[in-house]
Amino acid sequence: MQRVFELLKKKEIQLLLLIAFMVVISGGAWALYQTQIPPEQPILFPHDIHVQLQIQCLYCHPGAQRQASAGLPTQQKCWACHGQLKKYWDPAAPVPLEQWPVELQKLAGYVERNEPIPWVPVYIVPDHVHFNHRPHIAAGFACEQCHGDMSKQKVAELQQTINMGWCITCHQQNSVDDPQKRIKLIDCGTCHY
Amino acid sequence: MAILPKIPEYKAEWAEGEEGRWGIAIDMDLCTGCQACVAACSMENNVPFVGEHDAGYGRQMAWIRVERLWEGEYPEVRATPFQPVMCQQCGAAPCEAVCPVFATVHSQAEQINLQVYNRCVGTRYCANNCPYVARVFNWADYSNYPEPLANQFNPDVTVRRRGVMEKCTFCIQRIHKATDQAKAEGREVRDGEVQPACAQACPAEAIVFGRLDDPESRVSKLSKDKRSVKLLEDLGTQPRVTYLKGGYHGNLG
Repeated sequence: MQRVFELLKKKEIQLLLLIAFMVVISGGAWALYQTQIPPEQPILFPHDIHVQLQIQCLYCHPGAQRQASAGLPTQQKCWACHGQLKKYWDPAAPVPLEQWPVELQKLAGYVERNEPIPWVPVYIVPDHVHFNHRPHIAAGFACEQCHGDMSKQKVAELQQTINMGWCITCHQQNSVDDPQKRIKLIDCGTCHY
Repeated sequence: MAILPKIPEYKAEWAEGEEGRWGIAIDMDLCTGCQACVAACSMENNVPFVGEHDAGYGRQMAWIRVERLWEGEYPEVRATPFQPVMCQQCGAAPCEAVCPVFATVHSQAEQINLQVYNRCVGTRYCANNCPYVARVFNWADYSNYPEPLANQFNPDVTVRRRGVMEKCTFCIQRIHKATDQAKAEGREVRDGEVQPACAQACPAEAIVFGRLDDPESRVSKLSKDKRSVKLLEDLGTQPRVTYLKGGYHGNLG
């Protein structure tokens, strides 16, 4: 023990300990930052432009009204519109692919290779939770109540911390006057199985 | 600091002699002991294989087993009929009372016995207290399959980690799917619309699943049949699974 105290008095050892401490702190900060930034997407899809063009959420994410997962569009769905935009496909003056915006060139590449776009899901729940979009849409919830106003977002980012407290608070608020509904909505087996 | 939402204290309440919501009737006179239900259940519910070595230690994880006993003294030994045993989803479940972390709770909505995997800390008290030995414990991350094999997992069911107790759920994912579909179409769930994997796979149709609170359903008629028995009925656990036994199977069943 005496030797450790002797060592700690040395300038070099103190400096080394300081560096080690800072490495740990900055590593932790970096890891925390990584959880807070939106994941990297294969194509930097600008949601705001598409929402301003009055395209419905359910056009590209149709699963939300009929199944658990809302779904992410395939390259074919994107190309259904982008393959005939007058801006690029005007028969009088078609724009060559090289002059297209970079992100659209990437899309054209996926279409040409007939390869699905490897979108990275942003809103995810752990494996022991089973979220189902359909009852939420059927209950009349608008997409932006959970996903935020997409007309102000470019690449999708997490607008809401997804945790059980948030789920259950909403479930309780929406079943205040209906005991039958509350039994169903706060039951463990509704989401965890 | 956000104010935590107040979650009401949970307490399972059951009335004496209550029928429950979902139930199974198993006709042991029809069961041939083919084990199709065991295979189907394991596939549907991501029940992992434990391997020969660990099975030798009694760590097999099937949620349903086909039980068969022998009666009498040699040489007058005769077999009891094949008896598929899964979690009986007791109305007054012995497992629920002993869980220190409330990982096994009674679902008020579906009237079945839930196992909440993310709450479970693996004390295994519930398995000790289960008179039907219906609970299995994951001892060693058996679900860690190599890559192509992992694709067989059912996405509707959690892949459980080690140190977690698990048991038959009456295929609650299928119940949810059917009730969700029925609600979207604005009707009640039809009898026979929900089928757990075991009932679906049974070639003899020995396993019948349905609503017990609907007196017209097939399962509630069968469970009031004069051949019906409940396992360990004298314990007062109010099991939701009814066994039908009447015929004699002879020496080899």
